[in-house]
Amino acid sequence: MNMYSYIIRRLLYVIPVLLGVCFIIFIIFNVVAPDPAYVLLGRHATIEQINQLHRELGTDLPFWNQYLNTVKTAFTFDFGSSWSSKQQISEMIKAGAGPSLTLTVPLFIITFIVSISIALLVSFYRGGFIDKFVLLLSIAMMSISSLAYILFGQWFFAYKLGWFEIAGYEAGFPNFIPYTVLPVLLYLAFSWGPDTRFYRSMILDEVYQDYVRTARAKGVGELSIMFKHVLKNAMVPILTYGIIQIPMLFLGLLLAESFFGIPGLGNITIKALNTSDFPVIKAMTILSALAFIVFGVITDVLYTIVDPRMKLK
Amino acid sequence: MTSTVEKVLEVKDLVVEFKTDRGTIKAVNGVNFDVFKGKTVGIVGESGSGKSVSALAIMGLIPNPPGRVASGQILFNGKSLVNMPAAEMRKIRGNKIAMIFQEPMTSLNPVFTIGNQIEEVIELHQPQLSKKEREAKVVDMLRLVGIPSPDKRVKEYPHQLSGGMRQRVMIAIALSCEPDILIADEPTTALDVTIQAQILELMKKLQKELGMGIILITHDLGVVAETCDTVAVMYCGQIVESADVKTLFNHPRHPYTKGLMDSIPSFDSTSGHTKERLQTIEGMVPSLFDLPAGCNFQDRCINVTEQCRGSLGEPILRDMSDEGAVHLAACFNPLKKFEGKGL
Amino acid sequence: MTASATTNISVTNTRTKPSRSMWQHTFHVITHDKLSCIALLVVIFYFVLALLTFMGVIAGNWGAEIGPAYSPPSAQYIFGTDIFGRSVFLKMIKGAETAVAIGLVTSIISLIIGTILGAVAGYFGGIVDEVIVWFYTTFSSIPFFMLLIAIAFIMGKGTTTVFISLGVTSWVGLCRIVRGEVMKHKDREYSQAASALGAGHYRKIFKHILPNISHVLIINFSQTFESAIKSEVILSYLGLGVQGRPSWGTMIDDSKLELARGVWWQLAAATLAMFLIVLAFNILGDALRDALDPKLKGK
Repeated sequence: MNMYSYIIRRLLYVIPVLLGVCFIIFIIFNVVAPDPAYVLLGRHATIEQINQLHRELGTDLPFWNQYLNTVKTAFTFDFGSSWSSKQQISEMIKAGAGPSLTLTVPLFIITFIVSISIALLVSFYRGGFIDKFVLLLSIAMMSISSLAYILFGQWFFAYKLGWFEIAGYEAGFPNFIPYTVLPVLLYLAFSWGPDTRFYRSMILDEVYQDYVRTARAKGVGELSIMFKHVLKNAMVPILTYGIIQIPMLFLGLLLAESFFGIPGLGNITIKALNTSDFPVIKAMTILSALAFIVFGVITDVLYTIVDPRMKLK
Repeated sequence: MTSTVEKVLEVKDLVVEFKTDRGTIKAVNGVNFDVFKGKTVGIVGESGSGKSVSALAIMGLIPNPPGRVASGQILFNGKSLVNMPAAEMRKIRGNKIAMIFQEPMTSLNPVFTIGNQIEEVIELHQPQLSKKEREAKVVDMLRLVGIPSPDKRVKEYPHQLSGGMRQRVMIAIALSCEPDILIADEPTTALDVTIQAQILELMKKLQKELGMGIILITHDLGVVAETCDTVAVMYCGQIVESADVKTLFNHPRHPYTKGLMDSIPSFDSTSGHTKERLQTIEGMVPSLFDLPAGCNFQDRCINVTEQCRGSLGEPILRDMSDEGAVHLAACFNPLKKFEGKGL
Repeated sequence: MTASATTNISVTNTRTKPSRSMWQHTFHVITHDKLSCIALLVVIFYFVLALLTFMGVIAGNWGAEIGPAYSPPSAQYIFGTDIFGRSVFLKMIKGAETAVAIGLVTSIISLIIGTILGAVAGYFGGIVDEVIVWFYTTFSSIPFFMLLIAIAFIMGKGTTTVFISLGVTSWVGLCRIVRGEVMKHKDREYSQAASALGAGHYRKIFKHILPNISHVLIINFSQTFESAIKSEVILSYLGLGVQGRPSWGTMIDDSKLELARGVWWQLAAATLAMFLIVLAFNILGDALRDALDPKLKGK
């Protein structure tokens, strides 16, 4: 198969997946979910009030029509307004994206650099003490709940020691930095483990390949083998793994944002959960799925371009 | 015959050990051989006989741990390669001693162009060359190994080449610094028969032009007969017979060598019909974890006697020749001179 | 060369059929590695603890008030007491029962969905396969946590919500692997031999193919188990967790208001209890993968 026809096929496959995603979301929020009238109007609503509400929300329409409306929002980003704050959801998302990104982008970059450096180090000393120690440490740190990290970290480093701000946020660079350092470090504490393990296994996959033996036979040094020959080969799965995490950046950090009072998308989602704000949760679900699908396609297309072996297949 | 030719490599009593869960094994156990300028040494044996490990030991590429050169000498132009500092060894690898491998499909790095991969070795060992000179040399090397339109091919990736072409690229990499020794570990095993012949032909031609000594590792006696000057037959980490190629093929003295020869399908050109039946060597190679006392070949040998089972210790290599040329074999009951038939 | 010859033997064994020797091999690997051995004992210990709690033999009186509220850990109150003066230690033990229940039910739900869909897709191929692949691609296009939250939110809080929301969100990975393995195995000799003997589809899938990929199921089981226990904490924090009985998630969640008053023992107890079993499952999962999946050996 030629590279272009592969890319086109991959792009076309987005359509059924997107329709499917909308269908699942429609089932969850429009079919299974309890009648919004219970949430909004309470127990003592009259029939007229309920009918009126259904008309406003479009929930009196037949199911196929409600489904089409769900699909439509995925393209127009017109998610309606929040039940609790009455704000336009698309406006809320725009406002929340900034603070979220000030947390997630540094976190993503730092985690990537830290994990890949550790992975290269332990692959270089594979089987040795450092390797075994780091592997065990990563499993141990992965085994602690993220909520425990946040609770303990905020209490100990911010409250007890006073090294960081306990909570709060200021917009604009560099004002946000004092507020984001601690959450970023706490997330790093439990996210470097799985990443390092993945990168290490990708690198070790390559270390035992025949071309590495050829490079040694050519007289290439071990460092050059690691950084030039092995890393370039391992880069394909590593980049894939990295890119697929990017959509998560827009979702924000669910727990950290609400604990540290950062007005990001994660915080919005949690607030919506606490106030049973259906349309906000539905919007966040659609948005995150969209981001996932788009980045999935980008990854696959990049894959075909980066790896010369893919070009002829 | 040896006095006139320069000796470039001397392997003396080489022992290579591997540590495993089940104990330490000697993958190579007291091996001796020499490589001369412009000559080819064949090392023959079944898989696991220690032939590739010997080659990796010369290259200093025994994975350590679990393996190590436990004792013995490897002298390259009189200089010891065993325990040579890593940095110094790297200057020899790919430069003075080069190696090509069995799997041309996977031995090249898939994400670099072949030009890039040849250039790397030149850049490492001939830093005095400018970028332009290097690029010109890459094209020259590709031409030398018989790759058509080399100036276009330099930009291609390994997956765009056939197996035979890739092996030619491997040879180009190996020879681009004009090494004194080329180690070829089963260079043609993974290739089609017609391509095999081409590659062997190419190696012979380049040997004549560049004058390097070749160590050819193979399990295929046919390849040995065509290309080698001297042959060493290995079994369980030891050389059991060695001689110049003519002597060995005409008068094998070790029953194992004869067994190997009988198991090659061949065509007798004088009588015009194929030889009646292929023979196989009965039994299995013993595990290196529990080698028998006495001769390692005892359980598969047609000439086995009581003394092979340990009463006389292990058989050691003895000169069996009655003429001038050296013909060593490690056997208590060697075959009579005309018992082994020629090829 | 020679060193690898010995490992080759085990590789061929595991590739062809998970014969008794494969399980013997696994047993050998786990019992001969101190770390995996301890991990296995920890897991068994938690299961026994959960069973005893379930039968009411121990920690049945976890709800009883044993002392003043927020007593710090002491000889009398091993892990202190909570806001109602209940023993944190007993809650921690009762929490093991909750955790094991969540792990088991979630893994079983995801095992059933993932195996059936994966096996059917891989076995029948064609349009059936395409539909199932489309289905799980769609499912996995919604980020795990958003889907989990959405389902749990719609179902409302409660233990059933935790079971079902975790179960239906964690089958995709398994389904994908089972599909691939079944595709590989369906053309193997033993499976063809079975069809020559007139075995029906159902029989072929369940009697001949699935036993040969049981190692995939077991590795996946340990992963799902461990991640379900971790996800329960998040659900509890979001107010969608287990009700009416202690769980480590609700204990950790409770401590968000307690820490500022210096009450750290409830967080410590629940985190420790969870850490040990999750760590044990992680170590065991790695050991199982090394032993059962030769492709991944040495990683």
